[in-house]
Amino acid sequence: MAAMRFPLLAASIVAILLPWAARADEQGFTNRATELKERGAADAATVASLPENTPVKVLARGGGWTRVEAGGKSGWVRVFHLRFPSSVESGASSSGASGLGALGSALGFGGTKTTEARLASTGIRGLSTEDVKNASPDPEELKRMQSYRADRGAAERFAREAKLAEARIPAPGEPGKGESR
Amino acid sequence: MRRAAWMLAAALGLAVPASRAIDFGSILNKAIDTGKQLHDANREFTTEEEVALGEGLASGFLGAAPLAKDANLQRYVNRVGKWLALHSDRPDLPWTFGVVETDTVNAFAMPGGTVLITRGLVKRLSSEAELAGALSHEIAHVVLKHQLKAIQSDKNSEAFASLGKGLAGEAIARRGSDPVGLKSWGANAGVELLKNGVFLRPLDRSMEYEADKLGVVIAARSGYDPYGLVGVLEMLAQVKSDGSGLSVLDTHPAPADRLAELEGFVPDVEKRVREPQALEARFRKTVGAQ
Repeated sequence: MAAMRFPLLAASIVAILLPWAARADEQGFTNRATELKERGAADAATVASLPENTPVKVLARGGGWTRVEAGGKSGWVRVFHLRFPSSVESGASSSGASGLGALGSALGFGGTKTTEARLASTGIRGLSTEDVKNASPDPEELKRMQSYRADRGAAERFAREAKLAEARIPAPGEPGKGESR
Repeated sequence: MRRAAWMLAAALGLAVPASRAIDFGSILNKAIDTGKQLHDANREFTTEEEVALGEGLASGFLGAAPLAKDANLQRYVNRVGKWLALHSDRPDLPWTFGVVETDTVNAFAMPGGTVLITRGLVKRLSSEAELAGALSHEIAHVVLKHQLKAIQSDKNSEAFASLGKGLAGEAIARRGSDPVGLKSWGANAGVELLKNGVFLRPLDRSMEYEADKLGVVIAARSGYDPYGLVGVLEMLAQVKSDGSGLSVLDTHPAPADRLAELEGFVPDVEKRVREPQALEARFRKTVGAQ
């Protein structure tokens, strides 16, 4: 990344452009002994050495570094040196409502119990398989969804507005193809 | 295979009076051929079949959870998704993205380029880069044809056989612009794959890891922070299974395992990106504050 080619710029890029806010009250732990750095860069000064299992409060994320508070000090830790134990009930929404139950009833999903796996690919908790098995297809809703499609031009304008910079990166396992410019 | 073809013929014989079979002879033959071929695990689906099947599946899903009634959100997710898909090996599929109105946290990829993401997942994300991380994982499943491979796998062969019947049966009933009845076949097959649970089975762990890695690449090629998916997985790691044995946490690789798989991979991708972006502000403007 740019930060690696221009070490002097690293601090400003990492600290100003990249970070996005942590979710409320995110509590993690170090998953190995690691260093708390003054900024998100390997060559930054070390604020503190953190043993494995040090509790940290997440303040912000940015690239490969996470800004945390640990033992009263704040700094940056490598993102892969943190672990996050489960703490949120899967049915509860981030707004605090017990969403699944309430919404489940509204959609007629409530109360279904099944011993089959819930379906998902990136998710946490899906609709039960029974819910989907018993659903009637909705071709009108499919058409409505397709009416929101973006064409190539719309996607490109949208990317330009945000100055998204394309990069040539090979697919996993294809080291030669799509070499970086 | 032979048995399946026989079953298909038997089903047709029962369903079609001889006179009608003659009327629709050529269409029927084509449909039977297609039906037979669909039993062949080594045969590739055509793109048209893949799209029709994906639309059938999506229609079924939408029957269980409707679209979020927020046109801005739907357009936004389609722009992010299409931009990502343009950086995949299958940019020209009819990519369609939809946010479905349920508080559950999930995303689903259908063959042929339809991706559904739940409102519950969207509202737990913190930036456009995280949204891109989630969508590009799904796009990777489509590009790598993981669902088709799962549908065609041995353990699903019985269910798979029924798809061919569906196609032939529809051909008999239809004429006109869709003589082989591909759309109707897709709709029926989609419903069938939902009803018999084949599509609902988890993919192999190796497929999930593969989709994670290709997803990171697709997001990074598109200009997003390659750590977007990492942020999503950290969020998923914090969610507790509901203890019912039904959570994806019980059926998928644990987020911590997926993160461990990515640890040796994402830093290499990071070296190749130029000024990657998180776009938190644009995301919040459209999705709203959490």
